[in-house]
Amino acid sequence: MNSAAEVSSPPRDARSFRRRLIGFIAVGEVGVLAAMALLIAFFWLIEPAFLSERNIRAILNVVSFVGIIAIGQTILLVAGEFDLSVGSVAGLSAVVAAKLMTAAALPVTTGILGGIGVGALIGLLNGLIVVRLGIPAFIQTLGMLFIGQGLIQVVTGGYPVYPLPEAINTIGGTDLAFGLGWSFAFFIIAAIAADFVLRRTVLGRNLYATGGNKEVAHLVGIDTNAYKIGAFIVVGALSAIAGMFVMADLGSGGTSIGSGWELTVIAGVVVGGVSLFGGAGTVAGGVVGILMLKVVQSGLVVIGVNSNWQQIAVGVIMVMAVGLDIMRRRYFIAGA
Amino acid sequence: MSTVQAPLFSATAIAKNFGGVQALRGVDFDVTSGEIHALLGQNGAGKSTLVKILNGVHPAGSYTGTIQLDRRVVSFASPADARSNGVGYVPQEIEVLEQLSVAENVFAGRTGLGDGVLVHQRKLEQRAGEIFADLGIDINPKAYVAALTSAQRHLVMIARALVLKPRVLMLDEPTASLSGTEVDALFSVLRRLKAQGVAMIYITHRLPEVLAICDRATVLRDGQVAVRIAREDFDAEAFIFSMSGQRLQRLFPEHAAPVGAPCALEVRHLTVAGHSGAVHGAKDISLRVAAGEIVGLAGLLGSGRSEILHGIYGRVPAEGEIQVAGQLKSIKSPSDARAAGIALLTEDRKRDGLLFNLPVGANITIGNLAPLSRNGMVRGGLERSSILAAMRALNVKASSPQASVTHLSGGNQQKLLFARVLMRAPKVLLLDEPTKGVDAATRHEIYRLVVELAGKGVALLIVASELEELIGLCDRCLVVADGRIVDEFGRGQGGEDRVLRSVTAAQAERHALAAQASS
Ligand SMILES: Nc1ncnc2c1ncn2[C@@H]1O[C@H](COP(=O)(O)OP(=O)(O)OP(=O)(O)O)[C@@H](O)[C@H]1O
Ligand SMILES: [Mg+2]
Repeated sequence: MNSAAEVSSPPRDARSFRRRLIGFIAVGEVGVLAAMALLIAFFWLIEPAFLSERNIRAILNVVSFVGIIAIGQTILLVAGEFDLSVGSVAGLSAVVAAKLMTAAALPVTTGILGGIGVGALIGLLNGLIVVRLGIPAFIQTLGMLFIGQGLIQVVTGGYPVYPLPEAINTIGGTDLAFGLGWSFAFFIIAAIAADFVLRRTVLGRNLYATGGNKEVAHLVGIDTNAYKIGAFIVVGALSAIAGMFVMADLGSGGTSIGSGWELTVIAGVVVGGVSLFGGAGTVAGGVVGILMLKVVQSGLVVIGVNSNWQQIAVGVIMVMAVGLDIMRRRYFIAGA
Repeated sequence: MSTVQAPLFSATAIAKNFGGVQALRGVDFDVTSGEIHALLGQNGAGKSTLVKILNGVHPAGSYTGTIQLDRRVVSFASPADARSNGVGYVPQEIEVLEQLSVAENVFAGRTGLGDGVLVHQRKLEQRAGEIFADLGIDINPKAYVAALTSAQRHLVMIARALVLKPRVLMLDEPTASLSGTEVDALFSVLRRLKAQGVAMIYITHRLPEVLAICDRATVLRDGQVAVRIAREDFDAEAFIFSMSGQRLQRLFPEHAAPVGAPCALEVRHLTVAGHSGAVHGAKDISLRVAAGEIVGLAGLLGSGRSEILHGIYGRVPAEGEIQVAGQLKSIKSPSDARAAGIALLTEDRKRDGLLFNLPVGANITIGNLAPLSRNGMVRGGLERSSILAAMRALNVKASSPQASVTHLSGGNQQKLLFARVLMRAPKVLLLDEPTKGVDAATRHEIYRLVVELAGKGVALLIVASELEELIGLCDRCLVVADGRIVDEFGRGQGGEDRVLRSVTAAQAERHALAAQASS
């Protein structure tokens, strides 16, 4: 979104646009953006190929998949819960959709709706169990991560679903602009919409209240349970959509779609200033955080760092980002 | 204290700056052994900041000035450091470990009653029980803190400071949520500590307490010492004047119960379950409040007053009938209550009131966004202007609607919450401890506000621990004991003694009944 646009081409518009941009992006996100700009400059100085068209496109393409989930995860974190099952849900929804289109020979649209339905249903289940039975989200969604992985094997028997209907390959292969396709378009639109919802709508404000203090939110008449369950459903559905976009991109319902995404997504949004404790953060921040994480991963590859060190770098960056954020808050509040 | 005695604990030229806000500008303060020194001042004057510096919450290095204990310069790095030097502290905000028992909370950070690292649970409970007996309170040391009311939590914190046997004890508004009998019990403990030579710093907004127990008073104003007053010159009006620079004509604004006004709230046979022996529920409560009438619920801590309000507001499951303006309402949740025109101001600002993740403005409008939005979208300009109007109407002092609520003073936080409940123009307003932790001048503003609302036809039902305040403000008082209404009297028909008599009589009756049942 804004940030992505800014990376590829700085705003050339009038001053008012920049003022509004800065006003639009809260201080927290500006910090991450600045850090990202530095990192980009660093990688580019070492290896100018880092800013090659191909590499930028590759980064943005990957970001569009995990970014879609990051949008949902940000909303859920703001509401005070989180979901570790997003990767499994993405994979499961993709293979279910693939099976519906191939083995069950249903129309493509039905298959896609079925995939989204699976994601939404798992979200609903997660939400109901967390909210009504009081099982911590950590446990419930960790359990769901395993259940989902198991179900992927059950549904596919361990083999990728292939070939897929032509329509799916078309979705995956379309080049809308700059080599980016439908997944990127969906990501941008969903991110702008979600950011708007959190910033400007009553629903968004109520989500912040719910994540900030559930009891207070309840006392001012907000149905906190409904908001939390709703956020779980949104995460589930968005994970499903992301999974299906990857499937379309690959041209097959692979069994490893989404594996390991849960941690990338959480690490990314946390780098972008979304609080793990609920009630704080923005979609813009979460998305910028994911982008930054992917920039680092890609940059390390491009400058030729050993892959083990890449993992280490990701870990260090996440802890540093959160540490810097805590320091920044302390500085602003306590004034050193 | 007229004898000239070297101070046991003293601070010189203390200054503290919070990122641009100068909270303290060179304060000198001292307290001698066996003295209770009152620290007074309006909300935001810097009282809490001073005691937080004196016991290491704001560690050495984050302020300027020197602290001396026993004529030795000390600098505390943390509250634990202060504790080990014999300096105890009861913070203003409740800080308890909800998942632990009362006894464990009392000894938190200082077990040491066992062998090495092991904890002797039984000894802890026994010692905690003794301290509570001392304080004259009836809390089971085994109970979980999560089940306690905020007043009971406060007593747990006081007990936590007392187990240390400190030489210097700082109490930051220890009585803000306590009622008469608990305050009396606390005072007898403080008097005994005084006799043992403990030096105490006592912060309060309740001036009668200063007259009752303090030996000296220091008034802070805008982070500076405005005046120091010896016991001989104590005078409530002078205190108020030196704190605020205002003279108050009369404490309670005039208000007469409306005659022949329609009934706004009628509650019949309301029953609310109590919890885990710490709090009485409400048992078969019936009451009426007319439009424009101010009714008070008087009673002791844990008597079930808050539970009555919570039952009416749908916060806790309740049985019984609730009518608003003659119409039967089914209230199962706070949102039902709000739809019926009922609003509740909760007692514990930190736990049930403020949203610390949202700024001042959003804290005011949360739950009230429907009229400020179109198609679900908040209308920024309209929201901002109504926030500013609400802040102006209630005189909420914050730098802007975007400011954080964390560092507003207690009184301003309270006014902010008032602004939130008033934004919906409720027909029935339930107030739980509306002046808790609020300074004298702001209290006065709140009294005026209450009377003004009554004048507009709002029905008010108020719980307040300070009986003098409740009786002065309300047209009619209902006395609650053990979850039942045991007495009722109108303005001028009784005072604090009547409340205490009714409560004692009700308790005696209950004990007699219990004795009868068991024989
Ligand atoms: N941690 C903090 N960060 C920034 N400002 C602070 C902080 N703590 C206090 N302040 C500010 O310092 C001033 C003094 O606050 P303090 O809490 O000492 O007042 P107080 O006299 O205890 O008031 P009250 O009677 O409401 O408890 C206020 O303006 C307050 O907003
Ligand atoms: Mg204070």
